[in-house]
Amino acid sequence: MNIHRRLLVSALALGIAGALPSFAAAEGLIAIITPSHDNPFFKAEAIGAEAKAKELGYDTVVMVHDDDANKQSELFDSAIASGAKAIILDNAGADATVSAVQRAKDAGIPSFLIDREITASGVAVSQIVSNNYQGAQVGAEEFVTLMGEEGKYAELLGRESDTNAGIRSSGYHDVIDQYPDMEMVAQQSANWSQTEAYTVMETMLQANPDIKGVISGNDTMAMGAWAALKAAGREDVIVVGFDGSNDVRDSILEGGIKATVLQPAYRQAQLAVEQADMYIKTGSTGAEEKQLMDCVLINGDNASNLETFALAN
Amino acid sequence: MTRTLMTATCLLALLPMVSGCKIVKNPDPNDAEHAAAQMTDEERMAALVAEVYEPKLLPYMDEKAQEIGAVLPAIASDLNAAGESLGIPKASEGSPWNFVAKGEGVVIASNRESRAAKLEVDVNGDNEADLSIQLGPVIKGTALRDATSFFVFTDFRDQIEFAKLARALNDQAGAAIEIPEGDLVGQTVSFTGAFSLPRQSDAILLVPVHLAVGG
Repeated sequence: MNIHRRLLVSALALGIAGALPSFAAAEGLIAIITPSHDNPFFKAEAIGAEAKAKELGYDTVVMVHDDDANKQSELFDSAIASGAKAIILDNAGADATVSAVQRAKDAGIPSFLIDREITASGVAVSQIVSNNYQGAQVGAEEFVTLMGEEGKYAELLGRESDTNAGIRSSGYHDVIDQYPDMEMVAQQSANWSQTEAYTVMETMLQANPDIKGVISGNDTMAMGAWAALKAAGREDVIVVGFDGSNDVRDSILEGGIKATVLQPAYRQAQLAVEQADMYIKTGSTGAEEKQLMDCVLINGDNASNLETFALAN
Repeated sequence: MTRTLMTATCLLALLPMVSGCKIVKNPDPNDAEHAAAQMTDEERMAALVAEVYEPKLLPYMDEKAQEIGAVLPAIASDLNAAGESLGIPKASEGSPWNFVAKGEGVVIASNRESRAAKLEVDVNGDNEADLSIQLGPVIKGTALRDATSFFVFTDFRDQIEFAKLARALNDQAGAAIEIPEGDLVGQTVSFTGAFSLPRQSDAILLVPVHLAVGG
């Protein structure tokens, strides 16, 4: 019995050790946890953070929580168990994440959040997020201009548990609702998902065949909506996204989707690692906990300068 | 007898109201917190703005305001240098520069029909507009919030609440504007206000906290 349990423990320890790289680098380990890399946005974050961490002499372990708070909690446990020096996190829920970050803090491991906020301050060391409100307003102004300030449109919302879904919608409407001839005929969540957006768009089109525009809470949903519109022969519909992915860039350059808003995801992830490094070495990042990074409008004028969530000058 | 009973009943009925008055006179501090928790984000931020706008924000703007005649040429030569010397320190790396400026100029053009009404103002006498003064009721951007260093993002629940703060500040500034009707073209205006400038080539959209016609 006793031996059995010990064997099990060893097996677990080996499992963890096997999953993590050896501590070859001098500065220790940085754990990078994001949503699924199926969305290139999160992949760009992971790549940006990993490159900067290696440059600064850290080992890295890259993990995905698939927007599952329980899985995220387990990943935190394994990061704590492996003695990570810091955790870089794009989280799985503004409320649900607070306890996991607190647990790491209690274990002496600072967390540096990117992209999404949590609902508590003083738990993470940094929360660096895109200025989604500013970005949404910029995207909405372009959308209204493309629409000629009038017509029926639909909105695709992101996942409800994510603050970014609400703030982008709020930014869109603070602009669009000031134009009385802009009429929203449908508004539905497609949970940030391309496949879900395809289905939702099909349904919206059936109910509102005279739709003139679609404004989407992110680029993957914009891609799904565009695919559905294309399949229905409705390439006249104006679609605007949010994120600045290479997929949407290519669509813009082909004359498909009209615009998106770039979140500097790559730089954001690198900045989080720089602040982690500074905090590890000096005990302070020298910055406020919560930091906003401005977003930039991407359309036919500058799309060709966009690559992996960074805009070349 | 009946009358006495009725009077007594009335008095008894009044008692809870009387004691109710006492609670109002001596409010429990928890009540304020409770009330705040019941408010929407818009209501809570509007209440915060109403509380700080005159006693704190206006004196802050007066203290920070740089002469527009110095700010504009500095921006034209180097935005970052202008921001370092005359701007409000950036809250974080990805923030645009914010400036608080004061001065006077001549109205070159105006649009008072739009919901986003504005005056185009020439401040250096070359007969070309150097900046737009936003008159509302729709005031764009978050300059007033972001130029005010005592509003710190970390102190707010999330971006949504922080965005509502910006909106409430714009609403308050817009509501405070009192200038004569008409296009005002050719008239001199004096102003103090804030603007954000992400890029050097961007148009300056000033949100005024003081605005008066006549030099």
